[in-house]
Amino acid sequence: MRRFLTLREGSIIVVTVLAIIYFAIKTDTFFTHDNFINLLPYFAPYAILAVGEVMLMVAGEIDLSIGSVFLFAPYMFYEFNNAGLPLTADLILALACCAVVGIINGVFTEVIGVSSFITTLGMLLGLGGLTLIISHAQPVAMPGAEVTSRTVQVEHVVNGATVTLPEKVNEVGTFAKIFGAGTYSQLIWALVIVIGVQLLLTLTRWGMYTIAVGGNKLGAREAGINVRLTVIRNFVMCSVFAGLVGIFEAMRTSSVTPDTAGASETMFRAVSAAVIGGTLLAGGEGTAIGALFGALFLGVLRDGLTLQGVNADYLDFILGIAILLAMVINIYVGRVRKGSGRA
Amino acid sequence: MPEHHIEAEQARASDDVLRVENVAKRFGPVTALRDINLHLRKGEVLGLLGDNGAGKSTLIKIISGFQKPDEGRIMLRGEEVELKSVDHARSLGIDCVYQDLALVNELSVFQNMFLRREKVKKPIPFLANKAMKQDTRAALDDIGVNIPRIDVPVARLSGGQRQAIAVARTVTSDAEIILLDEPLAAMGAKEGAMILDLVARLRAEGRVSIIMIAHNYVHVLESCDRVNLIQEGEITFDKPTADTSVEELNDIVVEEYRRARIAAVGGDGRTGG
Repeated sequence: MRRFLTLREGSIIVVTVLAIIYFAIKTDTFFTHDNFINLLPYFAPYAILAVGEVMLMVAGEIDLSIGSVFLFAPYMFYEFNNAGLPLTADLILALACCAVVGIINGVFTEVIGVSSFITTLGMLLGLGGLTLIISHAQPVAMPGAEVTSRTVQVEHVVNGATVTLPEKVNEVGTFAKIFGAGTYSQLIWALVIVIGVQLLLTLTRWGMYTIAVGGNKLGAREAGINVRLTVIRNFVMCSVFAGLVGIFEAMRTSSVTPDTAGASETMFRAVSAAVIGGTLLAGGEGTAIGALFGALFLGVLRDGLTLQGVNADYLDFILGIAILLAMVINIYVGRVRKGSGRA
Repeated sequence: MPEHHIEAEQARASDDVLRVENVAKRFGPVTALRDINLHLRKGEVLGLLGDNGAGKSTLIKIISGFQKPDEGRIMLRGEEVELKSVDHARSLGIDCVYQDLALVNELSVFQNMFLRREKVKKPIPFLANKAMKQDTRAALDDIGVNIPRIDVPVARLSGGQRQAIAVARTVTSDAEIILLDEPLAAMGAKEGAMILDLVARLRAEGRVSIIMIAHNYVHVLESCDRVNLIQEGEITFDKPTADTSVEELNDIVVEEYRRARIAAVGGDGRTGG
């Protein structure tokens, strides 16, 4: 148990499980399938955003611009679709635009030498503004996410007699179902991406170089690691994940609204999830699994407090305190880990 | 400039595995290297002495491909080379143990040992951790370095252990020319002895040639074949260690210190002292 607790992601897993148990006892509805479905949008998109952030934070950088990329991507998707391209091409091109944003962030940070906080703050505002210009500040319906209704004949047995009655069924296209609109779509994407990033971080050269750059940049350079490439490709990955989540969410809600303030909040929640999960802002250490649980913790807290009927005004206040508490626990556990020499 | 005797060794140039000729390097208004001429024979351990800021580290960084010289040329095994990067220099058999060790605290001992030379599996290029651990253990045993656990982050190790890993990493990378930038800095006597033993073993083997930057004359006289002194960006002294002594080296440095003091006080260097 002690060994588990001193794992980097151990404390957030314990805290999340405790939160789940608490809400399961305090409310009748928390531990139901319906509520699980309700919980998903509070959690899955943030998990994907957070793991992209984890890789950057391990490299010693941060990306604040994911908020705007999150808005920008679905609008680009919409524009490419308007230009007459098929949905798959829209997706690929929109994500390619996000990759370009990542490259720009990376070049400003690692080649020109502006701190990533400033670079991506500029990108957050600039790209948010660009999205407003492109969209004329108007919401649009997501192509491919249109709901089609059809009538089916369903047999009912009423008082022993079989009666056939028409019923309306609402459906979205397969593309939309895969990319965000399906009930479990984002959960599956999140799990796949989190596991993928965790493997990338711990088992590949990419991950090892990212840790090296975040831990000892000069040392990494002296060892012959291409620091620029390492940083830039993590910026690109973070940006593409943000674009992907933006498109997922637009597909889920079948429309996209140019709400730049909401987009910034999305970014802050994702960064919080990464930090709560046990990734250091200082670089060199991090965990994708932790970010998943960080996002789950924030989702559970939000959902659970809502179920308890906590006044919406108190939500963020309680969330803020919870984040601080989780961080204090992380720091304490981190000390125990280093002190005990986790044998 | 001091008028110390510089041994001309042109006749034996063919033995040289490395020659640095007329190398200069400036950083803006600061001249780090004025005119460096240095040579290294195969299997030799060359000690490099010099005051702080004399240009030792800059020279090492140029030879290891980390920085490019403004002037001059580098001859490797008789052929002129332009070292484009650390990777390039390493591919030519030049490897360096930097003063700041280039170890990543957050990575484990074996990951640091294999940094930039990782072994990966096929077909998916996941890191072959097991193979790297085995090789690390074998390499450390081979050169007589005792590190109890190789899967812990190097942040947990002592300064001597960290230095030993950095040296071991270089030795096991099949380098032919190894540059040691103050390998005994910030190290206790016992740990320092471990590194000096390591250098002595490599010297006896004669497979690699070593340039070792050091502050301690005794260490240099004990573990090196020859000693060079850098003063203000130039090599001003070059003798086999057998032909010099702690006293001679000390006199030179005391003289340099005296002149520096006079210069700091002001005047033309004659009025003071």
